[in-house]
Amino acid sequence: MLRNLSLVLILGFATWALWPRGEASDGVEGASQQSSASRPYTLRFAPGIYMPDRRPMDVGKPIEGLKHVAEEFERLYPDTRIEFTEAPVGQREYLVTQLAAEQAPEILNVNVEDVWQDVQKGWYIPLDRYLERPNPFIPKGEPGSVQWWDQFKYQAISRGKAAPDGKMYCLTYDMIETGVFYNKNIFRRLGLSVPTTWPEFVRAEEKIKAAGLIPFLVGSTSVADWGMDLVFDQFYGEILPGIDLAKDPVREEYMKGYLDWDELAFLNSKGFFTRRDPRYVEIFRFLKNWRKYFQKNMASEIFRLFVTQQGAMLWDASPMVYRLNGDPDMAFEWGVFYLPPIPRSTSRFADGHPMVVVGGAGTQFEITNSAINDTGDAATSVKLQRAIAFLQFLTVPKNTDLVVNEVLALLPNIVGVEPRPELMPFHEILQRNYTTTKWLYAFDLRFNEIFRRMLDLYLDDGIGEDEFMKWMESNVRTASETVVRRKGIDLSKFEPKWRELAPIRAGMRELPR
Amino acid sequence: MKPRPSLTPYAMLAPTFLLLAVFSLVPFVWAFATSFYEYEVGGASRYVGFANYVEYLHDPTLAISFLNLGILTLFGLAVVVTAPLIVARLIFSLQSERARYLYRVMFLIPIVVPGVAGLMIWQGMVYNDMGFLNELLRLAGRDDLTRGWLTDPRTALWAILFIGFPFAGGINILIYYAGLAGISESVHEAAELDGARGIRKFWKVDVPLVMSQVKLLTILTVIGSVQGFEGMFILTRGGPGFRTMVPGLWMYMNAFTFQRMGYACAIGVILFLLILGMTILNMRYFRSSEELAGETG
Repeated sequence: MLRNLSLVLILGFATWALWPRGEASDGVEGASQQSSASRPYTLRFAPGIYMPDRRPMDVGKPIEGLKHVAEEFERLYPDTRIEFTEAPVGQREYLVTQLAAEQAPEILNVNVEDVWQDVQKGWYIPLDRYLERPNPFIPKGEPGSVQWWDQFKYQAISRGKAAPDGKMYCLTYDMIETGVFYNKNIFRRLGLSVPTTWPEFVRAEEKIKAAGLIPFLVGSTSVADWGMDLVFDQFYGEILPGIDLAKDPVREEYMKGYLDWDELAFLNSKGFFTRRDPRYVEIFRFLKNWRKYFQKNMASEIFRLFVTQQGAMLWDASPMVYRLNGDPDMAFEWGVFYLPPIPRSTSRFADGHPMVVVGGAGTQFEITNSAINDTGDAATSVKLQRAIAFLQFLTVPKNTDLVVNEVLALLPNIVGVEPRPELMPFHEILQRNYTTTKWLYAFDLRFNEIFRRMLDLYLDDGIGEDEFMKWMESNVRTASETVVRRKGIDLSKFEPKWRELAPIRAGMRELPR
Repeated sequence: MKPRPSLTPYAMLAPTFLLLAVFSLVPFVWAFATSFYEYEVGGASRYVGFANYVEYLHDPTLAISFLNLGILTLFGLAVVVTAPLIVARLIFSLQSERARYLYRVMFLIPIVVPGVAGLMIWQGMVYNDMGFLNELLRLAGRDDLTRGWLTDPRTALWAILFIGFPFAGGINILIYYAGLAGISESVHEAAELDGARGIRKFWKVDVPLVMSQVKLLTILTVIGSVQGFEGMFILTRGGPGFRTMVPGLWMYMNAFTFQRMGYACAIGVILFLLILGMTILNMRYFRSSEELAGETG
């Protein structure tokens, strides 16, 4: 009897615990539900650095610019609610699971190269047709009143973010660029000036090292990403006329000479980016030689080492301006310069042309498949219309100024909105040519992982050059084969152009043997 | 008359079994099937036969990750068989029951710290740039020896191995203690009459009679090592290079980072077969104290 009673009690308790909660009667939840009922379209928005009521990089006061823009938009569209959310967009696991389940925030800020991995899956909405039409929030005669596209200041970079399938999934809202932050006090004390050539730069590093300081602070991923791209451009720039095979009618105007993954794959089949390619081998020797001026542990907190004046130079991106300005321990004057060119006297493959841009697009907004879940069809979805309208509203100059310039980190990409004066050095850097290729985004994520890891290991003396180059060679070959198989591309389409450029290549030295 | 079987226990077990089937057995079977496909989340899948298995055999991470797994497993076994057993024996030899209880509690207390938190403590307080090890070296005037212990190719794997030092905490001590407590007093008396004392008694009497516990912990350690990757995931992500990579982590990365589900499933199946094989070997060739007793008795 007692046993049965306890069983009944347990079952009763379990039923009570698992029973769905009824409508809340308290004010807050009730209000929220009422709000949802009167606003059937909720746009969840993961704005990254502009997240309202947060302190970007844990520095300064909580920001609120974007909140005001959203409130104004909600007044214009009483059926729509903008809900800000934080999303770990840098984590592939998050993106894949949320997008596959159609649960991702309607508007995400993801690097477009990550989007490219998935464009064939329908997870993101192409924006071309909207960009080619007027922005309805722009008065007649202003940039954007004919084509939304005209509002974007850095056209080359913005349009260059079209996916390899030719469609545009990304709205480049602002710009980010790298630069070398340097401690002016240390430079003055050691009698150094901003280097204009690579040998001068190396001499400065030597002098700083001799003074017992770390010459150059840099993150390990930055070396694999920016370092690789810059040195690659320096060493391959001279032979680019003989190996640049594809002229994309849309992107070529903006990304002159850019080598896409299919061109890289074709060139690889001709011996490029293998041990038989002396330029390719030389890039890694060059990076290894440079490594001796970096901090001992590549995973160190380099910002702290810079602020505490243990390191004299820090290679980072424009958001560091915000962090440096707000750091309470900052006790020195700092400036920014860009890495100087490598002359022929330093490497036989370099021709001394200026270093190129490796940053570019900063915050990149994409609309996800969640935005069409009201009808399941982009053509009829009101929710999608609201998402587009919100992005268009966001790019109105006064709204962009309110959002982007509230944080001293990124440069507005909207015509009529000037960057903050402290960011002008980065604006100047952005006027340079774009990089020849982005190795860490060239193929697939497996390629990136192996490339980054093995470069780290090589730079830290964990592996010899021969073994390292074998890894590099097999990694490029596997990635090329994979990407060609997955995308179903026929590389033989490059053959005619390859033959056409043969006379140009005939005059070039040390091509792959 | 044959008693009518009661359906109540079956009915009571059904929900549990159903949940177990949905969350454990179905994914398990699904993984076997998926290992024969090239399957990307959100994309189309394509039957590729044994291609994923063949590719894994040529995977450049294969050799290093299995080597690491071997080292981690052997080290784990060495640790689990020695340190907790010695500590358990020392506690067991204390005269006061109160002291024995107190020491058991003290050695058990650290298990309340979640595993991940423990790893973060080692990462942040011991191996960090400003951590215990580097600060100790600086105090000793050996600044030249300081390093990123988890990022230096020469020390990363060692740093992982030594997490948990001195390896004498947790439930393992209790398991050995229970084994030691289960040895009959008459066995101890007989051994002492035969002149066995101290270390000799430990080797000749205690160790053979706790073989059941050794066997249990060996199986659990092997399974844990082959399946486990959370330590490497949190601390090094298998780096520098692939110096601390293990097959489980590569499986995870293929599944969720590279979205190569079919390939990841193939790695999972291989690991399953490996664990199965090692467990069978262990069951067949590693004799427990009962078997030893049966042989001698």
